[in-house]
Amino acid sequence: MVTQSDDIPELLPGTLYMLVLRALSRGPLHGYAIARRIRDTSANALAIEDGSLYPALNRMLVKGWLKAEWGTSENNRRARFYRLTAQGRQQLERETKGFDKLVLAIQRVMRTA
Amino acid sequence: MSGRLANRLMAAWRRLTHFGRASTFDRELDEEIGLHIEMRADELQQDGLTRADALARARREFGSPLHVKEQTREAWQFRWLEETRSDISYAARALRRNPGFAAAGVFSLALGIGANTSIFSLTLEFLFSEPSSRDAGTLVAMRVGGNSHAHMKHYRFLRDASLFAGLAGSNEEAEANWRSGNETHRLHAMRVTDNFFGVVGVPLAMGRPIEPGDRDVVVLSDRFWRNRLGARADVIGRALTIDGRPHTVSGVLPPDHRTVLGFGFAPDVYLPASRENDVVALIARLPDGTSLEAAYARLVAACRELDKVYPPEWNPKASWVTNTEVVPVAGLARLRNLSMVPFVAFFSMLLIVVGLVLLIACANVSNLLLARASTRRQELAIRLALGAGRRRIVRQLLAESLLLAVLGAAAGLLLNLWLAAILNRVELPLPIPVHLLIEPDWRLFGYAAAIAVASALVAGLLPALRATRGGVSPALKRTERQVEGHGRLRGGLIVAQLAVSVVLLTMGVLFVRNMTRSMTMSPGFDADGAVWASVRLVPENYPSEEQVRNLTSAALSELRALPGVEAASVARIVPLNGNSVRGDMVQPDASAEPVLVRFHNNEVGPDYFRTMGIPILAGREFAPSDRKGSPEVAILNENLARRLFGDRDPVGRTFRYPAPNPSAPISVVGVAANSKHFTLGEENPMALYSPYSQGAGGNLTPQLLVRSSRPAGLVREIAQRLGTLDRSAAIEVKPMRSALGFALLPSRVGAALLGSAALLGLALASIGLYGVLAYSVTRRTSEIGLRMALGADGRAVLKMVLRESGALVGWGVAIGLGIAVFATRPLAMFLVSELRPTDPLTWLGVIGALAAVAAAATLAPALRAIRIDPLTALRSE
Repeated sequence: MVTQSDDIPELLPGTLYMLVLRALSRGPLHGYAIARRIRDTSANALAIEDGSLYPALNRMLVKGWLKAEWGTSENNRRARFYRLTAQGRQQLERETKGFDKLVLAIQRVMRTA
Repeated sequence: MSGRLANRLMAAWRRLTHFGRASTFDRELDEEIGLHIEMRADELQQDGLTRADALARARREFGSPLHVKEQTREAWQFRWLEETRSDISYAARALRRNPGFAAAGVFSLALGIGANTSIFSLTLEFLFSEPSSRDAGTLVAMRVGGNSHAHMKHYRFLRDASLFAGLAGSNEEAEANWRSGNETHRLHAMRVTDNFFGVVGVPLAMGRPIEPGDRDVVVLSDRFWRNRLGARADVIGRALTIDGRPHTVSGVLPPDHRTVLGFGFAPDVYLPASRENDVVALIARLPDGTSLEAAYARLVAACRELDKVYPPEWNPKASWVTNTEVVPVAGLARLRNLSMVPFVAFFSMLLIVVGLVLLIACANVSNLLLARASTRRQELAIRLALGAGRRRIVRQLLAESLLLAVLGAAAGLLLNLWLAAILNRVELPLPIPVHLLIEPDWRLFGYAAAIAVASALVAGLLPALRATRGGVSPALKRTERQVEGHGRLRGGLIVAQLAVSVVLLTMGVLFVRNMTRSMTMSPGFDADGAVWASVRLVPENYPSEEQVRNLTSAALSELRALPGVEAASVARIVPLNGNSVRGDMVQPDASAEPVLVRFHNNEVGPDYFRTMGIPILAGREFAPSDRKGSPEVAILNENLARRLFGDRDPVGRTFRYPAPNPSAPISVVGVAANSKHFTLGEENPMALYSPYSQGAGGNLTPQLLVRSSRPAGLVREIAQRLGTLDRSAAIEVKPMRSALGFALLPSRVGAALLGSAALLGLALASIGLYGVLAYSVTRRTSEIGLRMALGADGRAVLKMVLRESGALVGWGVAIGLGIAVFATRPLAMFLVSELRPTDPLTWLGVIGALAAVAAAATLAPALRAIRIDPLTALRSE
């Protein structure tokens, strides 16, 4: 699911969900736009293999975090747009908090060790 | 927690809605992936790549679309469902490769599951069938003053008290004479109050029910309409001559009609209870939400009122409140009734017995699976080595036994349907109409599914865990022959199987012996030379007792005039065909205190004892001079004579009934030998006979009895002769022997059911024994070959096989007998008194039968063992 090229760090498991939720928090996007948003906001530091986005999106649809609707893209093509549900927003909050805690803990360990 | 559950349910729901739109989903996903790659390519092109390079790179960045699609699809699937599907198809392939194994397994389970579901169906029909009604849950049967039936005036009083949402009554023991052509037939009728159909809500197939105000209408059962009226569609509105008067057919019941009584009770017709001397059992519709306790309280209050208006006739000081009951007509609550105990006990026993049969079948399948696991050991080891989880493989092996069980259940259900069709057609030799109506329903299918899963687990879990135990390397190294533990486990299973079948066999032998004992047992009267003519007179045609008397004595003179008739008499009840039990205080002249005795009380005419072949031990028979108006007399059987008078000679002594008002003294004129009265199994019944014309002269259903040297030849002649006396009377004539059918029914049913269960268990266990011995011989082929090469002869080899078989059978019998000694003890309640469960003859029979079957199962493997050719056997190694 996650690329492991030499210079790009490996994603922590489950992080992809958080990234997608984050990307969608400002409004509905289609699949490619989500991939780009993730790449852009992380300044290419985190890249995912584009294809792995779709199983993740569908798993999130099953969980009820997202809804998908067909609409028209910026260059007038039929595209499937994903948007957060209320449940998805809650999940994002939960995951952000959890992630912050994790990062803090790791930092503490790295500093004291 | 509940939030998480809700989320899971919602997720499952979303997955479910995904089913059925798979092709749309695939198309849309293709479109989405295509768009993604194109957009990426567009962007790359803007960065300066050629279109071809941009597309190629976009594809590379995307990864394998096939893989992505596969994974995306999986997001929507139920994982366990997919895995199960693959497990099942794997199992199906495995079974198809081994048709012999599959057939043996399915056959065993089909017999086990078929037996179980059949007994379950029977139990449902007898104990849990719901009456055909609107909402049976709020219907209750009621008794007041301990009486099963109430007189019409009492019924009307309670009905008009409007205690419930409706109160109706029915008399299930009613009969009616139907004149058809030149013959009069006795019909079993259910006489119901005119609001009965409305209160109970009985559905009809045709026409309308009996409605308030109706007289002389009749509602037909489907069976009567079909078999007796040729299923004519225009039957509604036609008139049938019933009890001498035309009755208009108002409706026909559906074929699946069940009465409120249950037990397969199936009257021919429903008639209105319109006579003032009719009696009805009460049935009430409770208003919604009324508890049984509240209903009981209301009924008790009404009984107090009833006491004021109609004090109980049998004792003005008594009250209707005593022994007042409210019992639901359907569901589990009905079974709490005391009278249901023997039925519940019998069906529980049957369910346990067929459960044991199923266990034997499961053990067979287990053994088959174990044998196969040994040959598949290397395949499994390789799969474990390749990284398949043990759980996964156990699941796969279980899927195989589940598939066997499901196939077995399907075949078992077919067996069940076939048996049910036979049982539904059986005409039971009962004095009341009982027709089973066993139909498959969701409860049956649920039960079949449940026992299929249970047997898959029971049969499959142990072999599956065994097969995957011990990790990879030892399994890979071991050869099939070295798997020692399996042999022991399989032997243990066989011992268990044999032990269980010994228990079953003991029960079967006991019940079969019970039947033969009942059939050869003397009922205390001589049934062989006697004919029984049951007569029913139409009440409206005999308004006075005098007319009944005249008809009865005219009938007796007709019978006595027939050539070949040695004696003829009349009785109110024919022994073993009706309940004559009475509990009463009796005050013998010899003692100061009255004694409370339970005795059978029958009214019999002169010559009764000679006709029935019951010896008179002292004193005399009744004579024609013992008539109404002459001093009251009685004949006691030995048991009652001893109870009342001890060792004194009772003839010439008197007794009286002290309560409620002291009766005139009744003198004992004779003592008759003991005989059976209600059941063949009853022990030391006490009996008191009164002269027919003193007690039952006005009886509309006189039972005429004839002794003759040629009973069978007389049947037609008697019917014709009696028919000429009164054309409206219904007459049924049969040899007394066949009249014993009712009494023999319980022992026959018991013998048939438990005998078949025992045979089934024995057959399955012997197949198991055969399988294990045959497998053991095959496994030891080279060992036997070596022994023979070293000089062992056929006898030594034979001894080896027999020793193995003998050890298994010996242990099985020993353990089984140990269990059976205790397990069969409670069966005494179902057996005739002369037969004790601990009777040594039974044990001998069991051991003999098992030894014979075991010998047969050992024969083939033993022969194969001594025919082993040492050279071939050793070469194959």
